[in-house]
Amino acid sequence: MRIATSQYQSTMNLSLQLNQERITYLTQQMASGKRILLPSDDPVDNVRLSRLQREESALTQYRENIAAVKIRMTKTEGYLSNMANDITSGRDLLVWASDGGNPPSDLAAMVSPLTALRDSLFYNSNTIDQEGRYIFSGTATATAPISFNPLAALGSRYSFAGNTATQLVVVGNGITQVSNENLSGLEQLLNQLDQTIATLSVPGVDPNNPAVRAVLGANLDGFDDALDLVSGKVAVLGGSQNILSTMDANHANVSLSNQMAINDIGQVDMGSAATELNGYTTALQATYKSYSRISGLSLFATM
Amino acid sequence: MSMINNALSGALAAQMALSASSQNIANMQTKGYTRQGAVLTAVGPDPRENSVGNGVRVSSLQRFSDGYKSQHMWRAASDVGQYSQTQPYLTQLERVMGDTEASVSSGIDKFFEALNAVAGVDPTSTPLRQQVLTTAGLLAQRFNSLSNVFSAQLQSLRQQRSAIVDSANAAIADIAALNQEITYANSVGIGTSALVDARDLAIDTLASQMGLEVSDQPDGVRNVSLRTGQALVIGGVGGKLTASGGVGVAQVFNLDFAGTTYGLDATLLGGQLGGLATYESSTLLPLQQGVEDIAGQLASKVNTQLAAGFTMAGNPGTPLFVFTAGGGANMLQVAPGFQTADLAFSSNGTPGDTGNLQSLVLIKGQAINVTTLGTVLIGDADTQLVGKLGVDSQQNKAALSTNETVRNHAVEDWQATSGVNQDEEAVNLVEFQNMYQANMKVMSVANAIFDATMAMMG
Repeated sequence: MRIATSQYQSTMNLSLQLNQERITYLTQQMASGKRILLPSDDPVDNVRLSRLQREESALTQYRENIAAVKIRMTKTEGYLSNMANDITSGRDLLVWASDGGNPPSDLAAMVSPLTALRDSLFYNSNTIDQEGRYIFSGTATATAPISFNPLAALGSRYSFAGNTATQLVVVGNGITQVSNENLSGLEQLLNQLDQTIATLSVPGVDPNNPAVRAVLGANLDGFDDALDLVSGKVAVLGGSQNILSTMDANHANVSLSNQMAINDIGQVDMGSAATELNGYTTALQATYKSYSRISGLSLFATM
Repeated sequence: MSMINNALSGALAAQMALSASSQNIANMQTKGYTRQGAVLTAVGPDPRENSVGNGVRVSSLQRFSDGYKSQHMWRAASDVGQYSQTQPYLTQLERVMGDTEASVSSGIDKFFEALNAVAGVDPTSTPLRQQVLTTAGLLAQRFNSLSNVFSAQLQSLRQQRSAIVDSANAAIADIAALNQEITYANSVGIGTSALVDARDLAIDTLASQMGLEVSDQPDGVRNVSLRTGQALVIGGVGGKLTASGGVGVAQVFNLDFAGTTYGLDATLLGGQLGGLATYESSTLLPLQQGVEDIAGQLASKVNTQLAAGFTMAGNPGTPLFVFTAGGGANMLQVAPGFQTADLAFSSNGTPGDTGNLQSLVLIKGQAINVTTLGTVLIGDADTQLVGKLGVDSQQNKAALSTNETVRNHAVEDWQATSGVNQDEEAVNLVEFQNMYQANMKVMSVANAIFDATMAMMG
């Protein structure tokens, strides 16, 4: 083929441009560490990458939810354990009170620790969090769970005003966890305690009086029930936290494999990029050299 | 005395060839220049016995050109034009929509993460509810800024096409005027090579702007028409293209030729005009519609679900998003005056209930109907739009690179015939100089013979 002088020029320009374009692209890839700089570099892998990132976002949120729920559970567990301790010590007092050999003065002396216990249980049940919401009232978090009505008849002055509905938290794809608590049932113990205190406050109370014994006996049973209720909840909370830990570990594993896939698809292979860069640099240098050699060739130079 | 006349004809012919070479060397770097050469023909003998001939003459100045190669070059220019102008637009969209942090996908993720976080700690927590409002605002902003990019591209597409139409009209007028000049020059026998070169350059410019059919007429005129058949230039008469329609209205293209107006389908024009029109109708507008579909249906689903729940005060929920179809920079907004307590997360009115919040979180996995994609999940819709954009852009890049290669080969081909080679011209210079000197020698030999004859007579 006949070669025009300007054709040689344009071939040279084209070759320089091609090499420089590839070198710029490779440098960008290496600088950012990304294999895909624009979706069109690899549309299919770009979609895969985007979907992995969407899944990662969901997993991160599940794990954050698990961490938050576990903190809530630990706190709730602490309050409930305290109550269990209170209930145990109250039960001890009642066992002592039920001893028929106690003089009335001893029984009267038990009134003040029992009152303190009753009030402590009452206030603990109505615990609020930092934002002023009640922890133990089910989903009615704006309402105090145990309400006290001084005008009502003895034995029914305490009542449960919350609800037993559950609040669910998403901790996995389609998996929810109950994250709230209620103390429905504790009001009975408080009412019984109230009655016991009223009974023991009567001057010269006789522990062998069948009416007094009946009140004390019922209250003792009440303590047992309440202890079952509270420690049952503590046990469930503990179990749930273990399950959440396992689930968190599962999420962590899936997340790890996702991140490995993201790296595999999205990261540039430095080795091959460097080799390629080297190839284009060599080609560019060769083009420079050959241009300087060939441009010196001219028949006019010898005329 | 034919010898001295023969020598004179040879010297003159050599001069002509040398001047052709000098013109070629002078235009070595001139774009579109077609090299010329003197065509030498032997002049036949006189009608008598033993006549050797009457020397040489330059029968014509030849233009080294090949009509087929020019046609090929122009066709390739149209194909390159079709893909080259759209690539910057595609790349810009890819950068905006493909960004990991600023994409609509990540905005949707963040919004649903915020909803999930409220469910994780406490549905009545004010800072977490605030986070939902903030991410809702950010999500709306992402949709709006994307919508802005689309509007800006549409506007610049239209401006660019108006500019192309102006420049094409100038080229069309050029071609028609040059056709006239060439007809005149041919009729009076003046050389037309430079005029033809100028006309071919104008056709090359026009060909990159729209697909052309060029036909040669016997009188040296080139008629130019669109691929779809409408004439742009016939002889010395040129048509005029017009682009009408401003912002927000589809641009309409017309061709006025000799008092008649033809409507043109811009997507069939080919070249830069056709490429830009195709990009607008098959990539940009569907994408714009797709993003609007996502925004509208997401807003409507969230608002509907909120209406099914109860606020912290126990009132029925109110809409969080305000969606305006075709609203451009205000496409999606958070309802003015919306407060954290207005988020209706409870399904039964008790503040601690998360029933409606759970339903809100599930919206991310619900299906919506998006233009060009069909039914897709909300969380996946943007990913698929970007995927489609990536495929479109990749196809365009591949087509561009193929057509650039074709065009480069076409130009090389053309240059192989018409381009100047300096070494070749150097050889011509030397050889024709030799020819000139040889003829001069012949003259001096003839002169010596003449002198000798005269001396004998004397």
